[in-house]
Amino acid sequence: MASEVNTNFLTDKRLDRIAADVLRPVGVDRNFIIWMTSLTALLFVCMYAYYIQLDKGLIVTGLRDYVSWGMYISNFVFFVATSLVGMLISSVLGMMGYKWVKPIGRIAEIIAVAFSAIAGLVIVSDMGRPERLPYVFMYGRIQSPILWDVTVVTTYMTLSVLLYLFTMIPDMAISKGRIGHTPVWLQKTYELLSFNFQHKPEQYKILLKAVRILLILIVPTAFAIHTVTSWLFAVTTRPGWDSTIFGPYFLSGAFVAGCAAVIILMFFVRNNYKLSRYITQEHFDKMGKLLFLVSIVYFYFNLNEYLVPAYKAKTFEAHHLHELFAGEFAFMFWSVQLLGLIIPMILLLFKQMRKPFPMVIIAIVVLIASWFKRLLIVVPTMEAPFLPKQYVPDAWMVYHPTVIETAITVGTLTLAVMIISVLMKLFPVIPIWEIAEEESAHPDQQPVE
Amino acid sequence: MLIRLTLFCSLIMVASLVSGQTPWVVPSDWNAKLSRTSFTDQNRKTGGELYLTNCKSCHGDPGKNNVILLVPPPPDPSSVQMQQNSDGALHYKISEGRVTMPSFKNIVNSADIWNIIAYLRSFNKEYIQQTAPKPQFAGESFDKVNLELFWDAPNKRVVAWLTGVQGSVTKPIPSMELKLFAKRYFGNLMIGKPVETNEEGKASFLFPENLPGDSTGMVTLVAQLTNEEIFGLVKAESPMAIGVASNRPPLNEPRALWNVGLKTPVWLLFTYLTVVLGVWGSIFFVMLQLRTIFKIGQ
Ligand code: HEC
Repeated sequence: MASEVNTNFLTDKRLDRIAADVLRPVGVDRNFIIWMTSLTALLFVCMYAYYIQLDKGLIVTGLRDYVSWGMYISNFVFFVATSLVGMLISSVLGMMGYKWVKPIGRIAEIIAVAFSAIAGLVIVSDMGRPERLPYVFMYGRIQSPILWDVTVVTTYMTLSVLLYLFTMIPDMAISKGRIGHTPVWLQKTYELLSFNFQHKPEQYKILLKAVRILLILIVPTAFAIHTVTSWLFAVTTRPGWDSTIFGPYFLSGAFVAGCAAVIILMFFVRNNYKLSRYITQEHFDKMGKLLFLVSIVYFYFNLNEYLVPAYKAKTFEAHHLHELFAGEFAFMFWSVQLLGLIIPMILLLFKQMRKPFPMVIIAIVVLIASWFKRLLIVVPTMEAPFLPKQYVPDAWMVYHPTVIETAITVGTLTLAVMIISVLMKLFPVIPIWEIAEEESAHPDQQPVE
Repeated sequence: MLIRLTLFCSLIMVASLVSGQTPWVVPSDWNAKLSRTSFTDQNRKTGGELYLTNCKSCHGDPGKNNVILLVPPPPDPSSVQMQQNSDGALHYKISEGRVTMPSFKNIVNSADIWNIIAYLRSFNKEYIQQTAPKPQFAGESFDKVNLELFWDAPNKRVVAWLTGVQGSVTKPIPSMELKLFAKRYFGNLMIGKPVETNEEGKASFLFPENLPGDSTGMVTLVAQLTNEEIFGLVKAESPMAIGVASNRPPLNEPRALWNVGLKTPVWLLFTYLTVVLGVWGSIFFVMLQLRTIFKIGQ
């Protein structure tokens, strides 16, 4: 992000074209209503499942004495992980001056906002007595990583929302006169969110300063959010979790999931909003390379995380790894490692595979695999406590997620999709002012669609 | 001499190494021991439940031979190896244990071990139970047996007094072995050796001078009849201020990671607050900029 904005773009004709392109899909149309209605219907079904859980307690889930962190906490880790991509794209790449990330920065921010907001909600789904949530703040111990986690998740969400909001202000100002085709309440919202922005140099100066502070703060916060999440596991001595590299291991895995999510949305925006002029082949190529980069880092951490304990084969670790490599979880484990990491890495080496369509397929598989990967981190360890499992019914020994539990998890995913849909449909998905400024500064560069 | 010593040592080592495979010798008095009552369905049922919680994890489901992989392997309850034991031998082996077979005498009481044996025997069709004759104690039987504890200050001894009530007469019971324990957080600490009661029914134990008690020197003593077969479980428990007062600061005194929130270590409190205040201070600063932007636009 530059420290100054050349406001010449405001008088440039290109601005009109860019604004028209980006704002064309904005608004409430029939498809959007159908889409949101179906999601709402699905959400109601899931909320009914949650009502049952609220009424009967966690007994309606597969969680018992041994596996008390099942699908819910895996899902939580997945949400936190995916949300980190906002930091990677906007902050790290953006501040390093990579211009190509400008059109997809907001997409990454939308993911960050939606996923970090829902992450907090997912934790509540794991609580048998959610009305005791305030106790975390009333009786929380600063010594507990749980409290650190609550702190950083809230902070990261706030930062992401603010970053999304601030970079949107000039767009709101540009758009407010140009969205006559949308409902009045939406126009009013634009008016409100433009904060009287009139593209004055002082306003830009303050805006850029605020954005810069946010971008910088987001980096350590994002590191903290996922490192602390990994510490929830790594500060115990349990096999599979007792690891010193859990922080970076989680972080690198987070970028894999996040990049996949961004690619999926990019594909959607490019095709459905007809914005292929802005989200080009080249963007997919670059994101493909980025996904390869983060995947190979993650692969490296996986290698350390599994090979080193496997070589030593300490009693409990050996049992744990055996369950993963050849035991109860072998099928899931190898599917996740192969489909979610190794095969995508190999495919991404080929230029043909970094085209939009193959990329979106790869990204979908990677994202699904990364959900299951979190399950593989949480459940096998919980199923193998140090003390022998005794004095409990056989059904408690192994974890079987129930339909209700699954429905609630689907509900959280639905909610995230709903937030993403609203933000993508009602507000410009591509930062108009940044693209316009870029194009008017370099009028000779023509994008390859 | 040296050679003989070395030889002796290595012999012991070898013996201990192979002890897992050597036959499990049961003392002859134990081998001959029998239950005093005939096994009933109720016994077998209780025994089955105890087996499920205590033994199944290693010995598997009787008759299915799905035992856990250990060396030596725990035999299946229906196997010849298990069933060739006499009732007394089973009782002994379950009570005492050996290597990986845990000792259950402090986990399951004697009567329940008989219940488990009743259950184990239900997998042996040839088994015909023999019961032990009713015990006699010097030709007498008591309505009630009492055990009391006293502190004999001049001699620094704890005295346990065993008496039996017969109608309206109370008589001392001599020649019974008693054990004395001090209660701890986890299990009991045995004090000295077991002592037999004398003609007055009294057994006296020398009490160690340096045994720590609580902050007022209080120690809870437990005396118990070693042999539970004759009178059943006879036990007396009584707190006495005869230990050394020990004033250890409780573990929850200092600031520590494991302590309550108010006793957070200072370094952690400082780090947490600095970071949170720093970041949230900046966040509020950024939020204020919205107002400035708004004002400039007016
Ligand atoms: C930790 C695993 C474990 C548990 C729990 C366990 N056992 Fe064993 N048991 C063994 C092993 C191992 C042996 C073989 C020991 C040997 O031969 O040195 C054994 C041997 C025995 C034997 C002796 C068999 C013979 O060779 O004569 C009996 C009887 C027995 N167990 C009964 C029980 C009962 C009853 C329980 C439950 C109250 C129980 N065990 C619980 C592991 C276990």
